[in-house]
Amino acid sequence: MSFKLNLITLSLLAVSTSGMAANFGVGQANTTAVDTQKYECKRCTNVTGYRGEVSVAAGYNDVSDIHAGNALGTAKDGGIAAVSGDVHYQGESGYQARIQAHQLGMDNGFAHLSGGKAGLYEFSLDYDAIKTYKAGDVESGLWHNDGMLTPSDSINIFDLAQRREKIGLGFDYGQDFYGVFVNYSQEDKTGHKSASLVSPSPINFGLPTDATTKQFDAGINFSGQNWLTELSYFGSVYENHIDHLSLPYANDVYSADPDNQAHQVALSGQYNIGRTFMNGRIVTGRMIQDDNLIQMTGNPLQNWDGQVDTLDGRFALTSMVTNRFRIGGSVDYSKRDNKSSTAEFAQYNFNSLTGAFRQNTPQDIERNTYKINASYRIASGYRLQAGYDRKDVERTFSDREQTNDDNLWLKFNVRALDKVNFNLKAEHANRSGSDYEVNELTSSENNALLRKYYLADRTRNAVELKVNYSPINWMSLDISTRYAQDEYDDTQIGLTESEDYGYDANLNIAFNQHIDGYVFAGQQWINSNQAGSQSFGPADWMADVEDEFINLGAGASYSGLLQDKLTLGVDYLFSNSVSNTDVTAATTNPYGDYYSYNHSASMYADYALNEQMALKLTYRYERYFDTDAANVGVNDIPGMITLGDINHNYNAHQVMLSFTYQLR
Amino acid sequence: MKHCKFYSRLLSLLLFSSSILAVQATPWDDLSGEQLEQQLVDKFAEGKYSPKGADNCLTCHRKNETVMALFSGVHGNIASSDSPMAGLQCEACHGPQGQHNRGGKEPMIAFGADSKLSAPTQNTVCQGCHNDPEQMAWHTSTHNLEEIACADCHTIHAATDPTLDKLSVNDTCTSCHTQEKADMNKRSSHPMKWDQMTCIDCHAPHGSMSESALVKPTVNDTCYSCHAEKRGPFLWEHAPVTESCVSCHNPHGSVNDNLLDNRAPQLCQQCHAADGHASRVVPEPGMDAFGGGKSCLNCHSQIHGSNHPAGSLLQR
Repeated sequence: MSFKLNLITLSLLAVSTSGMAANFGVGQANTTAVDTQKYECKRCTNVTGYRGEVSVAAGYNDVSDIHAGNALGTAKDGGIAAVSGDVHYQGESGYQARIQAHQLGMDNGFAHLSGGKAGLYEFSLDYDAIKTYKAGDVESGLWHNDGMLTPSDSINIFDLAQRREKIGLGFDYGQDFYGVFVNYSQEDKTGHKSASLVSPSPINFGLPTDATTKQFDAGINFSGQNWLTELSYFGSVYENHIDHLSLPYANDVYSADPDNQAHQVALSGQYNIGRTFMNGRIVTGRMIQDDNLIQMTGNPLQNWDGQVDTLDGRFALTSMVTNRFRIGGSVDYSKRDNKSSTAEFAQYNFNSLTGAFRQNTPQDIERNTYKINASYRIASGYRLQAGYDRKDVERTFSDREQTNDDNLWLKFNVRALDKVNFNLKAEHANRSGSDYEVNELTSSENNALLRKYYLADRTRNAVELKVNYSPINWMSLDISTRYAQDEYDDTQIGLTESEDYGYDANLNIAFNQHIDGYVFAGQQWINSNQAGSQSFGPADWMADVEDEFINLGAGASYSGLLQDKLTLGVDYLFSNSVSNTDVTAATTNPYGDYYSYNHSASMYADYALNEQMALKLTYRYERYFDTDAANVGVNDIPGMITLGDINHNYNAHQVMLSFTYQLR
Repeated sequence: MKHCKFYSRLLSLLLFSSSILAVQATPWDDLSGEQLEQQLVDKFAEGKYSPKGADNCLTCHRKNETVMALFSGVHGNIASSDSPMAGLQCEACHGPQGQHNRGGKEPMIAFGADSKLSAPTQNTVCQGCHNDPEQMAWHTSTHNLEEIACADCHTIHAATDPTLDKLSVNDTCTSCHTQEKADMNKRSSHPMKWDQMTCIDCHAPHGSMSESALVKPTVNDTCYSCHAEKRGPFLWEHAPVTESCVSCHNPHGSVNDNLLDNRAPQLCQQCHAADGHASRVVPEPGMDAFGGGKSCLNCHSQIHGSNHPAGSLLQR
């Protein structure tokens, strides 16, 4: 402030601020009496040069199932090695840089390099590798070569695993009132994923994947004292290098994911007047897909002009009316306008009605969402919040062209007590909409009693309670519990009811500067009921799905050994996912085993050789089991071929010794 | 489990740093939040900054490791013209010293769990400088409405802010979002528990102008940013896929494979009852093509859409 404050203005300010929120932003500071030229910063630590750490690790993996590679960073069985590190550079003139690497040399790892002048410009270079293992040594009688799947008596053994490798470049630059950014990234995805074709009976096979996704983003922003605006562009291009697949005796039995691209231009902004803040955005986008269509009798088009135009808009506002009362709301609009060309295409049928033609149905979707919310501080540390949300959706070519969701919610937060915080949330929601009609364009033969769950009338009630308890300054306990129920009262065929409830508890202990630990436990149950009809009439069978999940963990570390040079630690995690289904027609049948569990444990000893160097020995153990009764032998089911029993049951071990060098 | 280790470490850091700072009861401990704020507002308006900046503060606080850790991070960078150290230094964030150094009788602006200052008031300090497009939707975000303070997630007095490190950002989020932490350990989930992916790949913690603070305008746009092969548009669409990926999938994790809310055939039969074929009783898995292998997807494998002219039933 350029004017001098006297006692009168000071007291006026004090009175006026009782009704206004404080703003301690440095731009608001009264610096009339400040002379920063006198600041010498003699006691400050000038951290220039390099600091951080670099570590080299080598060890041994005992892996019998490649699935263990997900948890252990690599599926390699035998000797493994990796380089990690996090090094910062600080120059005298304000230039700074950072290199971070994690597990380079393993299947999963990343590297990040950035540099620039703080607050002015920065460039970045990123490398990310993620390999996801589904199953190893999968057997198939089909061999892929250049779009041809050739059956053979010799078994094709491959891994169901996909590797993503991404390289990104970024640059941003900013001055007082404006900034610009440009990012480019390219991700290659390769491997095999599980797929199936019909010829005319089903054959499960490993679909080779080899695709590239390129992304380009750029934007420019301007800002002032109480406003901010940005104009940005996001573009993404997907290229699939695998073509349609054929069998020697049947052409093009499996169409490839088509090349496609998407572009979006967004204009967004924020503005505030006093304690009222508003923001908004308009995004216009286009998705294009005009790959060549497979040429066949009954296809009138060479290539299809697939185009979807999107428009998304939003305006939101929040205002502190008084120090106790806040009110806010938002309006969202989202339109998906499918402008793709339509034509009639001959369809294969497996009954006597061969040669039927069907027209594609490009669906438009329009959403309007309105939200209002209010928050009132009843007393210091007691706050009540309430809100109402409404979402209207209109869609074409659907069994139900309009749906509307109403949602009323209430939250009560208590932070007034010394050692305990409470957060309670309750919600009541209801979905209804236009008449539910069996649409001849989408499902000419659907059961009139069916209500698809994502369109059906639904009542939802939910409640959640979170408690944080800190009885002493070295212990913190968080407990949360929740219950939600969905009822589909008008549904006779389809999903009729579901409930989801559970709890979790997390205890964290920092006993002293040498000892810390944690324990956590959580369980969740999701139960749902559905009804079906194989007589194309009223419900004549039911399915009762009961999902259950348990998650337990504990760990501790102790750093006070050998004159504080040695740190010992242990961690353990157990989780068990179960889905039990009972199908009841004339009798009740349990629908086979479907569960998975894992025990993950690790132990480490970290020894500081001196100020700069440390050695760390880590042992990791992974026990994993999953089963799905649907996974059976390759030829166990007459008339179809599967990928075999791809369930998992393994113990995996990893021992790593790492050497860390500290740069100071 | 390493997540929890992180909490313990964070907790110990916070507890010990706060115990060092507040080892003795301060004269302003008895003030209510409102009284404290009023006193700080008056002090801020008065503008009695220290004559020597950080040197005055460090006369007493230099032995505190947490305080000195500031100089390892960007906010303590004395070479940068953009850092608080180029301006009012410590007092740029903690407010004018006033009489604080005269026996420590006046409060300063403090941050974190032990601060009595309300989160929105604490946040005005950070927002005084950090007003960029990332924070554009902050004020209407759930985190702001829930009165989350910047310092609840961000650590300024450290070489690396854990929220800016890919290996610790998930730990920061799941210290409050405990259900999502558990979800990571379900039978199927995105590779979050190994930090191959992070929460902020999909969500904007400072809020966004999309539902659930997603980084892209819609749910599907967010999914397509990594799963571009499912973007299409396809000649033959599957309506619930077009409408929202979360019609069938739970992106946080599921006890079923492929993040599915239910497994096939039951999931498919919740919408398809065209005749005895789709809605037939499948009493056991693994016995026939309806329940074995990939179930309904044995034949309808192009479930996300097909570009085959004869693919209206998503079979080819």
